[in-house]
Amino acid sequence: MCGAHAAVRQLLGELHEPNVVTVIDMEAGLEHLSRGTDRHVDVLLVVAEPYFKALETARRCVELGRELKIPRVAAVANKFRSTSDLEVVRKYFAAHKIDIVGEIPYEENIQQADLAGTAPDLRKTTGVASAIVKIASALGL
Amino acid sequence: MKIAIAGKGGSGKTTIAGMLTRLLARRGHEVWAIDADSNPNLGATIGVSAENRKHIKPLEGGILKEAADGKGQRTVQLTIPPREVAQKFGLPVADHLTLLLMGTVDHAGEG
Repeated sequence: MCGAHAAVRQLLGELHEPNVVTVIDMEAGLEHLSRGTDRHVDVLLVVAEPYFKALETARRCVELGRELKIPRVAAVANKFRSTSDLEVVRKYFAAHKIDIVGEIPYEENIQQADLAGTAPDLRKTTGVASAIVKIASALGL
Repeated sequence: MKIAIAGKGGSGKTTIAGMLTRLLARRGHEVWAIDADSNPNLGATIGVSAENRKHIKPLEGGILKEAADGKGQRTVQLTIPPREVAQKFGLPVADHLTLLLMGTVDHAGEG
Protein backbone atom coordinates (compact mmCIF):
# COMPACT_ATOMS: atom_id res chain seq x y z
CA MET A 1 0.00 0.00 0.00
CA CYS A 2 2.79 2.43 0.95
CA GLY A 3 4.66 1.38 -2.19
CA ALA A 4 1.59 2.13 -4.28
CA HIS A 5 1.29 5.66 -2.88
CA ALA A 6 5.03 6.20 -3.40
CA ALA A 7 4.74 4.96 -7.00
CA VAL A 8 1.97 7.46 -7.82
CA ARG A 9 3.79 10.27 -6.02
CA GLN A 10 7.01 9.59 -7.91
CA LEU A 11 5.25 9.19 -11.26
CA LEU A 12 3.69 12.63 -10.75
CA GLY A 13 7.00 14.06 -9.57
CA GLU A 14 8.87 12.93 -12.69
CA LEU A 15 6.04 13.66 -15.12
CA HIS A 16 6.86 16.76 -17.15
CA GLU A 17 4.87 16.27 -20.36
CA PRO A 18 3.40 19.66 -21.28
CA ASN A 19 0.77 18.13 -23.55
CA VAL A 20 -0.50 15.51 -21.14
CA VAL A 21 -3.32 16.31 -18.73
CA THR A 22 -3.31 13.97 -15.74
CA VAL A 23 -6.49 13.64 -13.71
CA ILE A 24 -6.07 11.79 -10.44
CA ASP A 25 -9.08 10.51 -8.53
CA MET A 26 -7.75 10.48 -4.97
CA GLU A 27 -8.97 8.34 -2.12
CA ALA A 28 -11.85 9.71 -0.06
CA GLY A 29 -10.68 11.71 2.93
CA LEU A 30 -7.30 13.16 3.85
CA GLU A 31 -4.76 10.35 3.98
CA HIS A 32 -3.35 10.92 0.47
CA LEU A 33 -2.55 14.49 1.53
CA SER A 34 -0.83 13.43 4.74
CA ARG A 35 1.19 10.88 2.74
CA GLY A 36 2.07 13.55 0.19
CA THR A 37 0.74 11.45 -2.70
CA ASP A 38 -0.46 14.66 -4.39
CA ARG A 39 2.63 16.72 -3.56
CA HIS A 40 3.59 17.20 -7.22
CA VAL A 41 0.24 18.16 -8.75
CA ASP A 42 -0.43 21.60 -10.20
CA VAL A 43 -4.06 21.78 -9.13
CA LEU A 44 -6.02 20.28 -6.24
CA LEU A 45 -9.78 20.34 -6.70
CA VAL A 46 -11.66 19.65 -3.49
CA VAL A 47 -15.22 18.53 -4.06
CA ALA A 48 -17.91 19.30 -1.49
CA GLU A 49 -21.58 18.56 -1.25
CA PRO A 50 -23.82 21.10 0.47
CA TYR A 51 -23.77 19.71 3.98
CA PHE A 52 -21.65 20.68 6.93
CA LYS A 53 -19.44 17.60 7.35
CA ALA A 54 -18.55 17.58 3.65
CA LEU A 55 -17.65 21.27 3.84
CA GLU A 56 -15.49 20.65 6.91
CA THR A 57 -13.63 17.80 5.18
CA ALA A 58 -13.15 20.02 2.13
CA ARG A 59 -11.71 22.82 4.27
CA ARG A 60 -9.19 20.43 5.86
CA CYS A 61 -8.22 19.09 2.41
CA VAL A 62 -7.62 22.66 1.24
CA GLU A 63 -5.45 23.43 4.28
CA LEU A 64 -3.33 20.31 3.71
CA GLY A 65 -3.07 21.06 -0.01
CA ARG A 66 -1.76 24.52 0.82
CA GLU A 67 0.75 23.01 3.26
CA LEU A 68 2.02 20.83 0.41
CA LYS A 69 2.42 24.08 -1.58
CA ILE A 70 0.25 22.87 -4.44
CA PRO A 71 0.16 25.91 -6.76
CA ARG A 72 -3.62 26.04 -7.12
CA VAL A 73 -6.07 24.71 -4.54
CA ALA A 74 -9.77 25.35 -5.08
CA ALA A 75 -13.17 24.00 -4.12
CA VAL A 76 -15.88 22.58 -6.34
CA ALA A 77 -19.44 22.91 -5.07
CA ASN A 78 -21.24 19.75 -6.13
CA LYS A 79 -24.81 18.42 -6.14
CA PHE A 80 -26.55 21.65 -5.24
CA ARG A 81 -30.32 21.37 -5.62
CA SER A 82 -31.27 24.99 -5.04
CA THR A 83 -29.79 28.45 -4.98
CA SER A 84 -30.06 28.37 -1.19
CA ASP A 85 -27.83 25.23 -1.14
CA LEU A 86 -25.35 27.09 -3.28
CA GLU A 87 -25.49 30.17 -1.08
CA VAL A 88 -24.59 28.12 2.00
CA VAL A 89 -21.57 26.61 0.22
CA ARG A 90 -20.42 29.96 -1.17
CA LYS A 91 -20.73 31.57 2.24
CA TYR A 92 -18.78 28.77 3.95
CA PHE A 93 -15.89 28.88 1.48
CA ALA A 94 -15.83 32.69 1.41
CA ALA A 95 -15.59 32.69 5.22
CA HIS A 96 -12.56 30.41 4.99
CA LYS A 97 -11.00 32.31 2.06
CA ILE A 98 -11.24 29.34 -0.29
CA ASP A 99 -11.81 29.92 -4.02
CA ILE A 100 -14.64 28.07 -5.74
CA VAL A 101 -13.62 27.05 -9.25
CA GLY A 102 -16.84 25.29 -10.21
CA GLU A 103 -20.48 24.87 -9.24
CA ILE A 104 -22.14 21.65 -10.36
CA PRO A 105 -25.88 21.05 -9.98
CA TYR A 106 -27.49 17.84 -8.74
CA GLU A 107 -28.65 15.73 -11.67
CA GLU A 108 -30.75 12.60 -11.37
CA ASN A 109 -29.12 10.89 -14.38
CA ILE A 110 -25.73 11.02 -12.63
CA GLN A 111 -27.15 9.15 -9.64
CA GLN A 112 -28.73 6.60 -11.99
CA ALA A 113 -25.37 5.97 -13.66
CA ASP A 114 -23.70 5.69 -10.25
CA LEU A 115 -26.25 3.16 -9.16
CA ALA A 116 -25.78 1.10 -12.32
CA GLY A 117 -21.96 1.43 -12.23
CA THR A 118 -21.87 2.87 -15.75
CA ALA A 119 -20.51 6.00 -17.39
CA PRO A 120 -22.97 8.92 -17.30
CA ASP A 121 -24.43 9.75 -20.71
CA LEU A 122 -22.96 13.16 -21.50
CA ARG A 123 -26.02 14.10 -23.56
CA LYS A 124 -28.35 13.44 -20.65
CA THR A 125 -26.26 15.20 -18.05
CA THR A 126 -25.79 18.51 -19.80
CA GLY A 127 -26.05 20.62 -16.62
CA VAL A 128 -23.18 18.74 -15.02
CA ALA A 129 -21.17 18.43 -18.24
CA SER A 130 -21.33 22.15 -19.01
CA ALA A 131 -20.34 22.99 -15.42
CA ILE A 132 -17.30 20.71 -15.80
CA VAL A 133 -16.38 22.26 -19.15
CA LYS A 134 -16.38 25.61 -17.33
CA ILE A 135 -13.96 24.21 -14.74
CA ALA A 136 -11.64 23.06 -17.53
CA SER A 137 -11.75 26.54 -19.06
CA ALA A 138 -11.08 28.14 -15.66
CA LEU A 139 -7.95 25.96 -15.46
CA GLY A 140 -6.89 27.13 -18.92
CA LEU A 141 -7.65 23.82 -20.69
CA MET B 1 -1.13 19.83 -16.13
CA LYS B 2 -1.64 17.51 -13.19
CA ILE B 3 -5.02 17.78 -11.47
CA ALA B 4 -5.85 15.88 -8.26
CA ILE B 5 -9.47 15.57 -7.19
CA ALA B 6 -10.21 15.08 -3.51
CA GLY B 7 -13.13 15.24 -1.11
CA LYS B 8 -15.23 13.31 1.34
CA GLY B 9 -16.59 9.90 0.33
CA GLY B 10 -19.81 10.33 -1.62
CA SER B 11 -19.05 13.93 -2.57
CA GLY B 12 -18.99 13.01 -6.25
CA LYS B 13 -15.25 13.31 -6.85
CA THR B 14 -15.05 10.15 -8.97
CA THR B 15 -17.94 11.31 -11.17
CA ILE B 16 -16.28 14.69 -11.64
CA ALA B 17 -12.87 13.12 -12.32
CA GLY B 18 -14.46 10.78 -14.87
CA MET B 19 -16.45 13.42 -16.70
CA LEU B 20 -13.53 15.88 -16.72
CA THR B 21 -11.35 13.12 -18.16
CA ARG B 22 -13.82 12.26 -20.94
CA LEU B 23 -14.59 15.85 -21.84
CA LEU B 24 -10.89 16.78 -22.07
CA ALA B 25 -10.09 13.72 -24.20
CA ARG B 26 -12.98 14.59 -26.53
CA ARG B 27 -11.55 18.05 -26.96
CA GLY B 28 -8.32 16.42 -28.15
CA HIS B 29 -6.19 16.61 -25.01
CA GLU B 30 -4.03 13.60 -24.23
CA VAL B 31 -5.36 12.53 -20.85
CA TRP B 32 -4.00 10.09 -18.31
CA ALA B 33 -6.62 9.24 -15.71
CA ILE B 34 -5.18 7.77 -12.53
CA ASP B 35 -7.47 5.96 -10.14
CA ALA B 36 -5.75 6.41 -6.78
CA ASP B 37 -8.72 5.34 -4.69
CA SER B 38 -8.21 2.09 -2.79
CA ASN B 39 -11.79 1.30 -3.72
CA PRO B 40 -11.37 2.01 -7.43
CA ASN B 41 -14.39 3.16 -9.43
CA LEU B 42 -12.99 5.61 -11.94
CA GLY B 43 -12.83 2.93 -14.66
CA ALA B 44 -16.56 2.27 -14.42
CA THR B 45 -17.28 6.00 -14.54
CA ILE B 46 -15.39 6.39 -17.82
CA GLY B 47 -17.05 3.35 -19.36
CA VAL B 48 -14.48 0.56 -18.95
CA SER B 49 -16.18 -2.82 -18.59
CA ALA B 50 -15.73 -4.88 -15.42
CA GLU B 51 -13.91 -7.51 -17.52
CA ASN B 52 -11.39 -5.00 -18.88
CA ARG B 53 -10.90 -3.41 -15.47
CA LYS B 54 -9.65 -6.75 -14.17
CA HIS B 55 -6.77 -6.67 -16.65
CA ILE B 56 -5.26 -3.36 -15.55
CA LYS B 57 -1.89 -3.84 -13.90
CA PRO B 58 -1.71 -1.57 -10.86
CA LEU B 59 1.13 0.86 -10.28
CA GLU B 60 3.18 -0.44 -7.39
CA GLY B 61 6.50 0.01 -5.66
CA GLY B 62 8.18 -2.15 -8.33
CA ILE B 63 8.50 0.88 -10.63
CA LEU B 64 10.72 2.56 -8.04
CA LYS B 65 14.41 2.21 -7.30
CA GLU B 66 16.64 3.79 -4.72
CA ALA B 67 19.34 6.13 -5.91
CA ALA B 68 21.70 8.73 -4.51
CA ASP B 69 21.14 12.38 -5.35
CA GLY B 70 23.98 14.84 -6.02
CA LYS B 71 24.52 15.39 -2.29
CA GLY B 72 24.85 11.70 -1.52
CA GLN B 73 21.35 11.50 -0.02
CA ARG B 74 19.31 8.37 -0.69
CA THR B 75 16.34 9.14 -2.86
CA VAL B 76 13.70 7.32 -4.89
CA GLN B 77 13.40 7.32 -8.69
CA LEU B 78 11.26 5.68 -11.35
CA THR B 79 12.97 2.75 -13.06
CA ILE B 80 11.47 3.81 -16.43
CA PRO B 81 10.29 7.23 -17.70
CA PRO B 82 6.66 8.30 -17.04
CA ARG B 83 5.54 7.72 -20.63
CA GLU B 84 6.81 4.15 -20.50
CA VAL B 85 5.00 3.68 -17.21
CA ALA B 86 1.77 4.81 -18.91
CA GLN B 87 2.39 2.47 -21.85
CA LYS B 88 3.25 -0.49 -19.69
CA PHE B 89 0.56 -0.13 -17.02
CA GLY B 90 -2.12 1.99 -18.67
CA LEU B 91 -5.27 0.75 -20.35
CA PRO B 92 -6.13 2.67 -23.55
CA VAL B 93 -9.80 3.55 -23.01
CA ALA B 94 -10.67 5.85 -25.90
CA ASP B 95 -8.89 8.23 -28.28
CA HIS B 96 -6.30 10.17 -26.25
CA LEU B 97 -7.42 8.55 -22.99
CA THR B 98 -5.39 6.15 -20.85
CA LEU B 99 -6.47 4.74 -17.48
CA LEU B 100 -3.92 3.93 -14.78
CA LEU B 101 -4.64 2.27 -11.48
CA MET B 102 -2.83 2.73 -8.19
CA GLY B 103 -2.05 -0.50 -6.35
CA THR B 104 -4.76 -1.31 -3.93
CA VAL B 105 -5.71 -3.29 -0.87
CA ASP B 106 -6.82 -6.79 -1.79
CA HIS B 107 -7.25 -8.19 1.68
CA ALA B 108 -8.16 -6.86 5.08
CA GLY B 109 -5.18 -6.09 7.28
CA GLU B 110 -2.75 -5.15 4.50
CA GLY B 111 -1.09 -1.88 5.26
